[in-house]
Amino acid sequence: MGELAIEVRALRKSFGTKEAVAGVDLNIAAGSLAGLVGPNGAGKTTSLSMMTGLLRPDAGQILINGLDVWADPVAAKAVIGVVPAEARLFERLSGEEMLEYAGRLRGLPVGEARTRVAQLLDVLDLAGDAKRLVADYSTGMRKKAALGCALIHNPSVLFLDEPLEGVDPISADVIRRLLTRLAGSGSTVLFSSHVMELVEQVCDHVSIIDKGMIVATGTTEQVRGGKTLQQAFIDLVGPGTTDEEGLSWLGSSSS
Amino acid sequence: MARLLVKLKLRLLLNALRSSTAAHTTFIISTFFAFVIAVGGFYVLALFRGLSASVDLTTVVFTVFAVGWLVLPIMTFGLDGTLDPATLALYPLRTRPLAVGLLAASATGAWPLANLVALLGVTVGLAVGAIGVLVAVVAVVLQVLFCITLARLVTTSMAGMLRSRRGKDLAAFLVIPIFAVYEFAVQVIPRAAARGGITAASFRGVDSWLGWLPPGLAAHAIQDASTGRPGIAVVRLALLAAVIVALGWLWIRSLMRALVTADTSTQSSQVRAASLPLARYGQRGAVAARFWIYQRREPTSLVYWAMTAVIMVVVSISSIVGRPVHPGVVIASAVFGAGFVGFFHANSVGLTGPPFVIEALALTNRRSLRAYFAGQNIALSVIAAPLLTAICFGLAAAIRHPMEGVTATAVALAGLGAALCLSNILTVSLAYPIARRTGSPMPQAAQGYTSYGLGGVLASLAGVAVLVTPVIIAGVLTSADQPAVRIPVLLACSAAYGVALAWAGVQLAAREAEGKLPELCQMAVRSTY
Repeated sequence: MGELAIEVRALRKSFGTKEAVAGVDLNIAAGSLAGLVGPNGAGKTTSLSMMTGLLRPDAGQILINGLDVWADPVAAKAVIGVVPAEARLFERLSGEEMLEYAGRLRGLPVGEARTRVAQLLDVLDLAGDAKRLVADYSTGMRKKAALGCALIHNPSVLFLDEPLEGVDPISADVIRRLLTRLAGSGSTVLFSSHVMELVEQVCDHVSIIDKGMIVATGTTEQVRGGKTLQQAFIDLVGPGTTDEEGLSWLGSSSS
Repeated sequence: MARLLVKLKLRLLLNALRSSTAAHTTFIISTFFAFVIAVGGFYVLALFRGLSASVDLTTVVFTVFAVGWLVLPIMTFGLDGTLDPATLALYPLRTRPLAVGLLAASATGAWPLANLVALLGVTVGLAVGAIGVLVAVVAVVLQVLFCITLARLVTTSMAGMLRSRRGKDLAAFLVIPIFAVYEFAVQVIPRAAARGGITAASFRGVDSWLGWLPPGLAAHAIQDASTGRPGIAVVRLALLAAVIVALGWLWIRSLMRALVTADTSTQSSQVRAASLPLARYGQRGAVAARFWIYQRREPTSLVYWAMTAVIMVVVSISSIVGRPVHPGVVIASAVFGAGFVGFFHANSVGLTGPPFVIEALALTNRRSLRAYFAGQNIALSVIAAPLLTAICFGLAAAIRHPMEGVTATAVALAGLGAALCLSNILTVSLAYPIARRTGSPMPQAAQGYTSYGLGGVLASLAGVAVLVTPVIIAGVLTSADQPAVRIPVLLACSAAYGVALAWAGVQLAAREAEGKLPELCQMAVRSTY
C-alpha cells in the first residue's frame, strides 16, 4: 500500500448505552476509490461523520493526508470534501448560488469561484437548471449539487455517504464517472453505499463494517474472495437462515 | 365506507395521543380549547338575547366560524390524514361513498363537535318560540355542514398545491394575517369595548352585506322564524341547502380529479440573479448574501419580520386607539421590536438546519466564525434598522408625539445591536434543533427543547431591555435640549453603541463556537425544518 490518505485508528463512538462505532481501524491509500459497505445501522454514517470532523469521537485518531482531524481541524478540513447522506442544501438558493456560496465559503476568489461553478454545473448536467431553486430539485439533482459543493475547492480527499441513494440511472452515471475521474487524477474517494454492483465495479478497495467494527477490508478482489461482492457481504454479515413458511398464502396459486 | 373513514379518523387521533408526551399534551390542550370554544361560544351567542343587533352579531359569529373552517385546514394540512385525497388514491374506492365517508370523517372529532355546540347558543340567544328553536337547530346543522363542505372543497382542490413547497409557503404566510387579527382581537377590542368604543350597536347593519352570504342566511332564517315569518326562514334555509349541495357537487368533482392526479410535483421557481450579491467581500460577504437571500425568499423569515412589526404596533396600541396617551409606549415598542428581532434569530444554527454542515466544513477557525456571525448581522441589520426606524416614527406620529420617534429610534438602533449580540451568543450557547411539525406551517423547537425557545425569548427581551437602559436615560435627560444638536448626537451615539454591542457579540460567539462546531453540527442535523 502506498502513501496513506485516510488513517483511522481505534475509532469509537457511543450514543447512551448503544455503541455505534466500536473500534474502527481503516487505512486507505492515496488515489484509491474506496467503498465502505455495511447493513443499516452498522456505523457507516457515524464513522464518516467523525472522519470529516462533524461528530466528536469518544476515542481514536483520524489522519487525513497525515493531518489529525481533531487535533488540527483547520488544516484537515481544508483538504476534504463531504457529500452527506441526505443532501440537504440551502433550499432557497438557486443551484448556481449554492455552488458559488460553497466556493466563497472555502475562500475561493470570486472570479475563480464563478468559473468553477459554471464548469461544475456543466459537467454535472445542471447547467439548464442553474437558476432554479434547490427546493425544486429532484433527488438526483440535489445529490449532484451536493457533489458540486464538495468538489468546488478541489479537495484531495472526498467523502460521500450513500451518494447514489434514490438517484436515477443517468444521474448515477454522471456521479460514477466523476468519482472515477477524480480518483484517476490522484485524489482519494471514500464512499459508503448499499449498491454492491457499484462498489464492485468502481472501487479498488472495499471495507465491510458491521456492528460498529470493520469485519473485512482490502482490495476488492481480496474481500470478494472469488465470489460476487454481494455474496461475500451476505456471507459475512447476513442472517443465517430465512423462514418464509408463514407466507404460504402468498402467490397467484393461493386464494 | 363512512364508518371505516370515521374509524380511521378516530384511530389517527388515538395514535397521535399515544405517539409521544408532546402529542399527548397537545391533544389534551386542543381538547380543552375545543371545550372552551364550545362552552364560550354557546355562552356568547346566548348573551345576544334581547339585543337590538343580535342577528347582526350572530351573523358575524357564524361568519367567523366559516372563515376559521376555510383557513385552518389550509394551515394544518397534513395533520388530518383524511384531508388529503392522495392518501386514499391507491385504493379501489367509488367516489360517492368516499365523499360521504370523508364528510363524516370531517365531522368527527372534538373541534367539529365544539363548533356544533357553540353555534347551538343561538337557540337561546336568537331563537324565540318552538318554531324558532326548531329552525335554529336546522340552521346550525346546515351551517356546520356548510363549513365542513367548504373546508373539504378548498383542501381537496388545493391538495396538490398544499403538498408542494408553494403550498407550504402559502400556509406560512397565512400566519401573518391570523397573528395580526388575533393580536387585534386580544389587545384592541377589549380595550375599545371597555371604554365604550365598541358596543353591540356597532355591529348593526353588518348584515346588509353579510346577510346573504351562507352564514348570514342561517342567522337570518332563525330571526325570521322567531319573528313570525317561517316561510321566509324556510326559503333562506333552502337557499343555504342549495349552496351546500352546489359546494358538495364541486367538491365531488374536485375529489374525482384529485384521485387521478395525485401529483406532488411543484412548479419550479427561477431566480433572476446571475450570482451571489456581495460575494466579492470574502466569507463575510458570502454569508451576508446567503442570509439576505433567505430573508427575502424564506417565508418564515418574512413572517418573523411581519410579526415583529405587529408586536411593535400592538405594544403601542393602547395609546393609538385610546386616551390618555403615554408617549413612552413607543420606546417600549422599540425595545420589544429589537428584542423579538434578537429572539427570532437567536438560534440561527437550528434554523439553518442540516445545510449548516456545508458552512461548518468551511468555518475552520475563529476568524471565519467571526466572518460568519458578522455577515449574518449585516444582512439582518439592513432590514431591521430601517424597519424599526420607520415603525418608531410611524407610531410616534400616530400618538401625535413625533419627537418620541427620535428617542424610540435611538433605543431601537441600540436595541438592535444588543439583539444581534445576544442572538449570536444564544445561537452558540443555547442552540437547539427546530422541527416543522405536521399541521404547523411555522417551525418550532423540536420535542424536548421547548424550554430552550422560552429561554431564548426571555434572554433576548430581558437582555435588550437592560442593555438599552443607558440610551433610554440619555433620551429622557436630553429631552429638553436643542433638537438640532440632540437628534443627530443621540442617534449617532445610539447607533455606535449598537454597533459596539453587535461587534462584542460576534467576538464572544466566535470564541465559543470555535470549540463547539461538532456539537452545533449535531444540533443542526437534528433539525427537520
